[in-house]
Formats: sequence, C-alpha cells, structure tokens
Amino acid sequence: MLTQTIKTELTDIVGKERYLDKTAELACFSYDSFTEEAMPEAVIFPMTTREVSRVMEIASKYKIPVTGRGAGTSVCGAPIPVKHGIVLCFTKMNKIIEVNTPDRYIIVQPGVVNINVQKALIPLGFFYPPDPGSMTSSTIGGNIAQNAGGPRCLKYGVTMDYILGMEVVLASGKIVRFGSRNVKDVTGYKLASLFCGSEGTLGLVTEAILRVVPQPETQKTIMVIFDDLDNTAKAVSDIIGSGIIPAAMELMDNASMNAIEDAVGIGFPRDAEGALLIEIDGIKEACEKQTKQIIEKAKKNGAVSVQEAKSESEREKFWNARRSAYGAVARIAPDPISEDVTVPVSKVPEMIRRIIEITSRYGLKVSVVAHAGDGNMHPVIPIDRSNTDQRLKVEKAFAEIFKVAIALGGTLSGEHGIGLGKSKYLPLAMSKDSIEFMSVIKKAVDPDEILNPGKFV
Amino acid sequence: MTKNAVQNCAKCGMCLNVCPVYTVLNEEQASPRARLHLIKAYEQNKLSSSPLLKEIISKCLMCGSCAAICPLGINHYSEFMEMRKRMVEDHGEKLPIKSLVYLLAKEQRLKFANTLARVGQNIVPEQFKEKYKLGNIPLKRLPVLNKKPFRSALPETIFPNGEQKGTVIYFTGCATNYIYEDTGFSAVNILSHLGYRILIPETQTCCAIPMLFHGFVEKARQSIKENIAALSQDSVDAIIVDCATCGTALKKEYNLLCDKLDLDKSAVDEISSKVTDIGSFMLANADFFNFKKIQNPKSLNLTYHLPCHLKNSFGNTETMETLLKIIPNINYIKAADFDSCCGGGGTFFYEYPEVSKKIGNKKKETAIKTGADLWLTDCPVCRINLSGNLDENDSLKVVHPVSAISSLLKPKT
Repeated sequence: MLTQTIKTELTDIVGKERYLDKTAELACFSYDSFTEEAMPEAVIFPMTTREVSRVMEIASKYKIPVTGRGAGTSVCGAPIPVKHGIVLCFTKMNKIIEVNTPDRYIIVQPGVVNINVQKALIPLGFFYPPDPGSMTSSTIGGNIAQNAGGPRCLKYGVTMDYILGMEVVLASGKIVRFGSRNVKDVTGYKLASLFCGSEGTLGLVTEAILRVVPQPETQKTIMVIFDDLDNTAKAVSDIIGSGIIPAAMELMDNASMNAIEDAVGIGFPRDAEGALLIEIDGIKEACEKQTKQIIEKAKKNGAVSVQEAKSESEREKFWNARRSAYGAVARIAPDPISEDVTVPVSKVPEMIRRIIEITSRYGLKVSVVAHAGDGNMHPVIPIDRSNTDQRLKVEKAFAEIFKVAIALGGTLSGEHGIGLGKSKYLPLAMSKDSIEFMSVIKKAVDPDEILNPGKFV
Repeated sequence: MTKNAVQNCAKCGMCLNVCPVYTVLNEEQASPRARLHLIKAYEQNKLSSSPLLKEIISKCLMCGSCAAICPLGINHYSEFMEMRKRMVEDHGEKLPIKSLVYLLAKEQRLKFANTLARVGQNIVPEQFKEKYKLGNIPLKRLPVLNKKPFRSALPETIFPNGEQKGTVIYFTGCATNYIYEDTGFSAVNILSHLGYRILIPETQTCCAIPMLFHGFVEKARQSIKENIAALSQDSVDAIIVDCATCGTALKKEYNLLCDKLDLDKSAVDEISSKVTDIGSFMLANADFFNFKKIQNPKSLNLTYHLPCHLKNSFGNTETMETLLKIIPNINYIKAADFDSCCGGGGTFFYEYPEVSKKIGNKKKETAIKTGADLWLTDCPVCRINLSGNLDENDSLKVVHPVSAISSLLKPKT
C-alpha cells in the first residue's frame, strides 16, 4: 500500500499533475496487448533522469514494486504490474536530444516513439532499422526493454544491434552510463546488452544512444502468392539458403490472408495457401539482379503469381496488409493469442507443418504469419478466454509447439519477449544453471526485487 | 440499464499515434484504447461512474481517426456516443453545452439566439474582446454572425443561369446558416454555375451531430426526423453538404441509429447514397467550370486543411488537393500536416482549451510556413478553430474552398 507519506514524497518529485492514483486512470495502465490485467497503485510520468532516480530512491526505501512502461503495446504482458505498486510511464519523457548523422547516431529519451526517430532521420537520408509492428506507437524505451525486432531485422538486426550506449537508473536510484557514441567500444563489459531485453527487471533506461544507418538507394517490394503452404515455406529456405539477404521476407498463410482481406481488402485470392511479402534494398543494379533471382526461385517453388510494387503507394498497400494481420486475425474471436517461436530458417517448412498438425489435433483454428526469412513465426490462435476448455487446449497446443521449436534448434521467443506469457516455459529453452545465472544477476542489481517483479526472473 | 457488450479491443495500440489528443498529451488515459477499456469495465460493473470517468470519456475530439485505423473495425463513435449519453445521465452536463443542445434542438430557438448573440457581439466592449476567451479562442477572433440566417435570404428553389443539368439539394448546416454566409453564397454560385437547380428546403435543421456527440440521443431524434422528411425528395441527383460533420451525420450516423431511433431505413439509405461533399461534387463536375481569364497565372496562393470527418467518414484524402491543382490561377502549396486534426472537434476547443491550443499551434506553424494567403478548409468548426488560433498580424485567412473557387468563376452573361 502506498501510504499518504509515500504519496507526498512522490508528488514532491513530479508534482500532482504527473501522479495518478484514481481508479479510472489506473485502469488505463493495467493492460498491454497481452490478455492479462493488473492494477497499479500509482502511475508516475517522469520527465527527467533525475526524477526517475528520485522515484527509485523512494521505491527502494519502502520496497515498492516499480514497473516501467512505454506505450504499452507489448504482446507478452511485460509492462503489466502484476505486483501492483508504481507504474513508471515514460511517454512524456520524449525528447530527441541529438541527431548526428555524420557520426551516425541519435540520442533519445526513452519515451520517443519509434516512428518519430525515423521521421527525424529520413530527411537526412538515414534510418533506424528496428521496425516492430507497433512502431507507429511504441517507444524506444519499450523497444529496448523488449529487444524489439521487426520485419527488416532479417537483414539489419534487432534493437540490441543498434544500441551504442545508454543511461540507466538502477533499483537503488543510482544513475549509470554504459557505452559511448562509438561503434567500436570494448571499454568494460558490454552492459547495454544486459539491459536490452531485460524487460525492465534490471533497470530503467533513461537515455539511449542509437546507431543509425544510411537509407538504401533503392527498394523493391514483391508480393508472391502460392497455392501450397509447404511450397511457400520451401521458397523461403531456398531463397535465404542461396545467399540472398532480403531486407524483409514476410509469410502469411491462408487464414491470415483471408483475415487481412476481410479487414483491409487488398485483393488476396481467397483460396491461396501462402503469400510472401519480400523486400530487397540496396544499390539499384544489385536489387534488380536479386529481384530476378528471387522471382526465379519463387516460381521454381510453385509460385502462382508475382506482383512487384510499382509505386510507393502500392508498396505501402502491401505493407499495410502485412501490418494489419494481427488485428485482422483478432476479429475472428474475442482473444487472439499470438506466439513467437523461432527456428533456423531451413526448418521453417517443417515448423509450419507441425504447428498446423498440433493445432488441428486440438481442434483449434490457427493462422500463421511469420518473419519467415529469419525463422521467426507468429502462429495466432483466436479464442474466447471465457471458454475454459478452449483455453486449456490452447495452452497444451502451445506447450507442444514450443517443444517442437526447441527440438528443431529454435527458441521460445524471437522478438515478443517472455513477459507473463512464457515464463513457465523458460526451462524448455534454458538449463537450470542458466536460469539461475540470470537470478544471480538480478539479485546483484535489484536485491529487493522491486523492478518489474513477478516476471521471468 | 440495457447494455451492449463493447466490441472486443485487442489493445494493439494502432489508435495511439492517430489520436490527436493522445499525441499531444502522451498519456494512456487520453487514448481511444483506454476509453474502450474503461467503457468495458464500466459495463461489467468493475468501474463505477464518476465525474473523472465522464471527463476521460469526453476528452475526445470525436474525429473518428481511431475507428478509421482500427484493424478490428471497432466503431468507436457508437461506443463513445453511448457512453457519453450514460455519463450525461449520471453527472449532468455543463450549462453552456446544455444550452447549445437546447438551441440546436429547435430551429426557432436558434434563430432567436442568433439575433440575440449578434446584438451581444455588437455591444461587447472592445477591451473585453481583447481580454476574454471562449475556450482557447480570443473573443475578437470569433466569427461575426450572419445579419440574418442565410437560408432566409434565399428562395427555396434557385434555377441555374443557363441550361439545367440536374437538381441538387443543398444542406446548409447551422454554420453556413448562422455564421458563414460567405460559404453559402459561394456554394450557391458554384452549383448554379455548374448548371444545377438548387433546392434549399426550409424545413432542414441541425444535423444533430452536436446533440449525439454530447449524449443527447433522444433530443437528436426530432431533428433527424425533420431532416429525413426535408431531404427525401424525388428527382434529386445529389444532396450537397458544405460541412464534413453534417455530411458524416447524413452519410453514416443516421444509418447506425435507424433501429435505436426508429427511423425510416429506406429513406435514410436513399439520403445516405445521395450525400456528397461539395469538394467531390466540384471535382466530378470540374469539366464544366468556366474560369475568368487568367491575368497572373498561379497568383492565388492557397494551402488546405483536411477535416477529420471528411477523411474518416468520406475517405476523401486527396479530393480537394486534386481539385485545387487543376484550377488555373491557384497556386496550391501543401502543408506537411494538412491531414492532421486541428483540435477544434465540435465544442472540444471550448471544453479543453489547453489541449486544443497545443494541437492547433502545430497546424498554424506549418500553414504559415507555406506562405499562402488563404487557408482553405471545408468544415466550419475547423474554420472557427484555425482562424481562432491565428493572430491579428498573421496574414493568413481561413475560408471554405468554395469561396476561393467561386471568386475565380467567370460570371455568366
């Protein structure tokens, strides 16, 4: 319980305007895009590192749980305050501090929305590659906490690959900085990678130095349609296996294509079994050559149609279809459960076959969308959570799917994170000693376990 | 209390970035997703009604951008409207809003209030106009009301000058009728120039959107029925609206209210299918314009603000730009954020002046940067708000596109 004394101490730091504790307001911070909810006791909007530090001093003094939050678009429940306490919401701490394209970095506060980083860079001929599906709303702080990926991470790598340095407030309130403005930097441990992906369990990022890269000269975007899902998956491993690295390679199965068609109507044939949205970028001549190679390989694997985006608006149309997949599938039933297993790309065809086999054995509907080029798959099962029988079936099906993924040399989560959704499956992917090693780190950094408690560590 | 279950929201957060209120406040409780969440909690009796809940629900421009982007196809409008109604029932409404609804509900009251307000505007001492504000808009920046209602200045039927190509009904909306007669006269000039017989039914009244958005659904019923009667006429090619919001009512909202308000479904469908915003109508008839001989090519520098209701209800994102680009004499300069909300939102600028000001200031800066002389917009509330945010010494002037276009037409002999 937050006593009046604690409340006074906290409002002394941020003022009453940026401190919420009324039920109707708190309820707005009880959810993310995962399906569980938990109420915080207070929500605080910090504006400066100093404020974050002072809030943490008080939280550690009284041992109050603190859960960091960005825009709340996580799909694994990471920002849900299961142990209540304080939600520290960074959306108002959203200044771009420095844009330096000659030295190829940008410094931002954690509440800056991903798309606004892009908007600051595009006029200068640069961009920031990590592009999670939520990029128009999600914050850099949240992206870092979850080590967010996205379609073009196939070629460019994930959030972690773009962090040069960061400022972090620890559970005690201490402010620490790691890394620098330099791509090459072996001064001490690479601690940024410890905090990136820690889902708010180790510290709160208050500033980040991000690496930026020049925009490619050209982009080519192709939509390939197949009448057989197995062929679709084979085309993926064939193209990737041949050494071509597309910027993105997105797979959609029949169920997701139909859901997308119902939601945004882009003209997918209703009976198609699979589609690949492929984007290649780089030097014009190279793109043209690779486009040809990709089309050849797609046709060899049985593609029934190949459509190249003729304009920016057509490219946008293709991408809009892919981006709306999650919401579109969500229309089918009250609660869509989206998973995130990842396997080596040569195992994509087998993994998809197994997902379909397992879900149909449980009598569940499934739609598969995947960042197929890097083997990152999102089987989505639309269910009604109030139906206990159905819920149990989904749990069993996913447990089987996870086991298969691990057996194929894959992993539990490619980009969504562990959060609330998958902590119980962690032993499938990590040994007892490895999990314990994470606990050792956690205890060393946050001995009272006040940072995002109740999660995977 | 009868309750419909809230359509399920997957909380994907796509609505955050398009919500004008969320993007300036950067707090979840101001987001469309949060409002849906709270409505659901309230309906499931997990959250009790409170003035705070009412405020969270009303701190919304009803611009419809969330519904337009929602991949689940949630109709935020209906959800918010229903909730606003319940909140008004639980906690009442502010006197000025109640008065507005009272006035809009009866044409006679509006006419009377108009006369009074005009007298009022004339007797307010200058120093008061300098000092006081209505919401975020200084009194001196508010429009002067029409001397007499636009519709009473014209006959109910106006024949075109020259050959008659067809017949249209002109739904003037309250704003043209009581505030912006320049829009009305220009629209009539254009429609008649294009060869249309214009019907301006005397019995048309407020489209009812303000009443609906403030939760006064029952009060809206009478106005809606009067409009359906006034607009259901044979041999009419189109029903022209000069206001995106009135258009939204006639094109979409009446349809959604058919069951609830026991409306004549076939009449509503017929009206809905004929409703056209004047921008689209002009573009479709662009070949029949006869412009004045060009003295100085591209001499009229214009920029444009796209009203949310035109974008979200009519899906017209490029219509006006396309039209402006093909008109000789017009130099159209696009403002980078031409399609983002101005923060006006019906009475939002009055209820939440600080939020509205923040949204409006961003628009103002980019519009001024274009160097245009005229800032066009086809929504009267946007016009009040945009011009209200301009300063005395800004040379930019806000008008309806029809005023600019009408001024370029060659007079028929």
